[in-house]
Amino acid sequence: MGALWQQRMDSLRDYEVVRDGNVFATNFSNNILFSSEYNGARQYLNNLLKRYDGSSFDGVFCGGREHANEGGTCYLLESREPMVYPAFDQDRYLAEILGDLTLVHGIGKVTEKRLKIRGYRTLHDLMEHPKFRSNAQRAIGCLSTGSSGKITELICSRYAKSHPQVLATAGLHEPGDYVFLDIETLGLFSRPIILFGVGFLEHGELVVRQYLLRDIAEEPAALLATMDHFSSVHSALVTFNGKAFDAPYISDRLAYYGMGALTGIPHFDVLHFSRRRWKDELPSLRLSALEKEILGVHRDEDIPGQMVPEFYETYLRSGNCGPLVPVVEHNRQDVVSLARLFFHLLGEVYGHC
Amino acid sequence: MAIADLLLLLDANPVYRNRVVHKDVVRQAEAQYGALRMPLSSSLAAYLNHKRIRLYSHQCDAIDHIRAGKNVIITTPTASGKTLAFNLPVFEKMEMDPDARSLYLYPTKALSNDQLTTLEQMAKFTGISTKPAIYDGDTPQSKRAAIRDNARIIVSNPYELHQVLSWHAKWRPFFSGLRFIVIDEAHRYRGIFGSHIAFLLRRLLRLCLFYGSKPQFVLSTATIANPVEFAGNLTGQPFDLIHEDGSPHGRKTFVLYNPFYDGIGERSGHQETKDLLLSCVKENLQTLCFTGSRKMAELVTLWAREDARHISSRLADSISAYRAGYLPEERRVIERQLKEGSVKGIVSTNALELGIDIGSLDAVIISGFPGTMMSTRQQAGRAGRNGTESLAVLIAMANPLDQYFMNHPDRFFSRPHEHAIVDTRNPYIVSGHLLCAAAELPVNDVTDTVFFGESLSSFLADLSTHDLVRKTSRGWVYSGRGRAADAVQLDGIPGPTFRIVCKGKLLETMDRGQAFREAHKGAIMLHQGVTYVVNEMDLETHTVRVSETDVDYYTQPLKEASLSVLETIESHLVNGMKCAFGDVEVTETITGYKIKHKDTIIGVEPLTLPPLTFRTKAFWIILPDHIGQKVIAAGHDLPGGLHGAEHAIIALMPLHVMCDRWDIGGLSSPVFGENSEPVIFVYDACEGGIGLAEKAYEVLPALLTSAHELVRDCTCEKGCPSCIYSPKCGNDNQPLDKDATILILGELGREPEKNGPCPPCLSGQEITVP
Repeated sequence: MGALWQQRMDSLRDYEVVRDGNVFATNFSNNILFSSEYNGARQYLNNLLKRYDGSSFDGVFCGGREHANEGGTCYLLESREPMVYPAFDQDRYLAEILGDLTLVHGIGKVTEKRLKIRGYRTLHDLMEHPKFRSNAQRAIGCLSTGSSGKITELICSRYAKSHPQVLATAGLHEPGDYVFLDIETLGLFSRPIILFGVGFLEHGELVVRQYLLRDIAEEPAALLATMDHFSSVHSALVTFNGKAFDAPYISDRLAYYGMGALTGIPHFDVLHFSRRRWKDELPSLRLSALEKEILGVHRDEDIPGQMVPEFYETYLRSGNCGPLVPVVEHNRQDVVSLARLFFHLLGEVYGHC
Repeated sequence: MAIADLLLLLDANPVYRNRVVHKDVVRQAEAQYGALRMPLSSSLAAYLNHKRIRLYSHQCDAIDHIRAGKNVIITTPTASGKTLAFNLPVFEKMEMDPDARSLYLYPTKALSNDQLTTLEQMAKFTGISTKPAIYDGDTPQSKRAAIRDNARIIVSNPYELHQVLSWHAKWRPFFSGLRFIVIDEAHRYRGIFGSHIAFLLRRLLRLCLFYGSKPQFVLSTATIANPVEFAGNLTGQPFDLIHEDGSPHGRKTFVLYNPFYDGIGERSGHQETKDLLLSCVKENLQTLCFTGSRKMAELVTLWAREDARHISSRLADSISAYRAGYLPEERRVIERQLKEGSVKGIVSTNALELGIDIGSLDAVIISGFPGTMMSTRQQAGRAGRNGTESLAVLIAMANPLDQYFMNHPDRFFSRPHEHAIVDTRNPYIVSGHLLCAAAELPVNDVTDTVFFGESLSSFLADLSTHDLVRKTSRGWVYSGRGRAADAVQLDGIPGPTFRIVCKGKLLETMDRGQAFREAHKGAIMLHQGVTYVVNEMDLETHTVRVSETDVDYYTQPLKEASLSVLETIESHLVNGMKCAFGDVEVTETITGYKIKHKDTIIGVEPLTLPPLTFRTKAFWIILPDHIGQKVIAAGHDLPGGLHGAEHAIIALMPLHVMCDRWDIGGLSSPVFGENSEPVIFVYDACEGGIGLAEKAYEVLPALLTSAHELVRDCTCEKGCPSCIYSPKCGNDNQPLDKDATILILGELGREPEKNGPCPPCLSGQEITVP
């Protein structure tokens, strides 16, 4: 019985392998792998199994340690990367916001221009305007709270979600508030998350903490450990495609274990801002493509993200942790690139402010 | 009155007169009204006043029970107001409790649409904010979140629910407030599909328990013999039954019509169906005609329109086909035309058997016994909806069961209704849904036995050895690579769906088994009265390419089956013959197809298709040597006798166990197994079995006796479609030997036990079958 289901499951892949150069296929499905990538990764997997045969967990991941919390245990890996991030002038930013009349309900670009000609230069000036007075009052009230959440909310309600103005609100947070997150999973939803990569700034460095499941049973502990990074009221989540994937996936798994939900945290999805910024310049907006084009990062021996489930399963079945090596490195690099890309975009936005 | 005219025609016309073998008249009945124990709220009472509705006794009974918190199953006939009987208490709960939510499950989208209209009207008039909405595969992504969060009544179907359950976190408000699960047309959920639904509902209940709700069930079904048991198996909950019908109805005439009354049959039953349909339409009777297959629905329509065109093109245009494979837009158009009355005659498969409210119909023609009395009543119930006089005609085909009823009308009208079977033990179905459940919430091997039975632990152990679930401190967690709900298909037919494409346009979709049978290369297919030929079947992309054609022949597949016994679970002796029940593995291969013009075979073409293999449950009968010798000594053909007996047994299975003939398969061989014994196998035609062969094995003596009577009493000489010829025989009904069949069945059914099932035969000593 189990064999029958296993057979059927193995036939259900979340991706499709197509012949090299079949660019046509890429139009139909987001999840395709070229056969050379696929074959290369299979070959790599076999090499890993040979190289790490008989190695222990701690031997392979030196510096790792067991992490325990009320959810149980999981495996924690920590690394540090130097990180440069742009300075943010909050006063200047707020002054600029005050000059943005389109933040008032009922005022578009054209009206704003007309109003400015007539001498209404800031939101405060609009308090004198017979028609926009009450709406302006609301916007000013919101700004004067100084709450990053409230201001972000106001700006989101008047701008497209991928607009640089929305990204700029990230500056209202302290650099230490950012939580960069990327997860690796056993598939597209309804299956365990096997690795949580979390990045945060500390003393000018990016600290990457990775919570790895040595067994599926360690998922609750890793979930809790990840959630702990959001304990501060100022936390802001930064992801790449996390609005569509990582955040709902984590919520789904929290619900699966009856462990609450991931809600009410400001969330900056770098994919959305990148798409708006580079969609006319770059053919691909995948993180791996952006880090190469924008950040100049080159990865050796990376594996296609779609094949992470196969690598992890091979580890589970064989007990050989070799296949986890590139998965961990892939995830770590994703977190680092995510943070760099975020600050790169933020720097551009501040520059324009 | 048009019905009276048609009845006169049936009496007067010599062709019709001979064929009418029986007329059963049900008198007009007056309405029985009832009173509720507690009055309805003013808004609901006003709604009834506005609609000029006075509640019938059974509606009041149902409402009282539902208000008392009971799970209720309503089995009153079609058009007796079942919908109102549950809509009222649901709306009442919604009015009292602002957090209450309800889920309505319908087997088809068409039914969902009709119910939505009713619910919207009710919500609008009463002002009770239920915000009903459909949530199914057609619901756009952009509207889904709003429906989940705001709609208090969601109308959906089992397929959608199956996909939705793993997203339960998004459904939290809905599931935690769920008070009612309404399952209309519940009898549809029997057999394989029903067993899947049984576990789907258990998964839903498990999530409700997690979110702290305990919804009440309301089921409505056609008349079945075991409603309370059936509802219990389907949901795992206890039920109260509402069955005394208080609704009025007009005079109903049920005619049994036998084109083969003379044992020959000048023309096929389908041709006779077409004639009768035309007569009805010409009498201006709005008529619904049910046929046994999609193909026949198309053919009867084609023929009827051709004939009608001789009279007027408007008459021809008023006849249309309707079946499940049509695309939604096509179906909507036909449904609307029927309601408007521009369509007079509709030819359909069972897609219309489901209670779509298409207004009053005058006559129903059932072309061939649909397999169950329940379906027959359901189909006949489509006539005379508004208390007017109505007519139903059953046209017998030349098959054994139909002819059995034509020769015994009393059995037809007095027969107890069938038992609907829901098997909650099919290991494939249980383990599949267990995987889905483990992907929804961790499975607890103690508390979840409530939902998955006592074998839960052994299933989990088996699945875990294949890395599909892992044991954790929080329970068993799903760890397979694929999405569990994608691997489990609710109709139990594993494998992919084939798309039938003409010039790049999608005509319809089929499962693999059906595609192999009906859409292999060279097959002639009908769709909306247009004939297509299959040019190519691509097994990798699951695409069938067809082109329009104009031929006067049709095709029929040829099948080969082989079987091996995996384990004998039980065995005993019946009249000295070894009978056994157990696990078998069946391999079926479509080897080719026949090309037929009318009833003549004009060619046979070979096919190369991969075999379909499955494990299932079977019963089998091993003939002792002396009977084989007796058959041979009498100069008869042993293989032909075994094959004939197999066909007769399968033909009469639906008399004893509620099933469709396609649910059962058979195989016979004069030299089977190591001992080269003559044997007859009858098996459930699906993976894991579904309880049919098991039930038949329990009532084997009665089954064998009736099979013997059937063949013995048939007037034909060498076997005919009314006794041992099988319409679905993959071996082209060869070899067959009627005398040998009578001899064998005579030995098997020696001690006649008439009138229905008898307890299992325990008199014989236990033996082991090699």
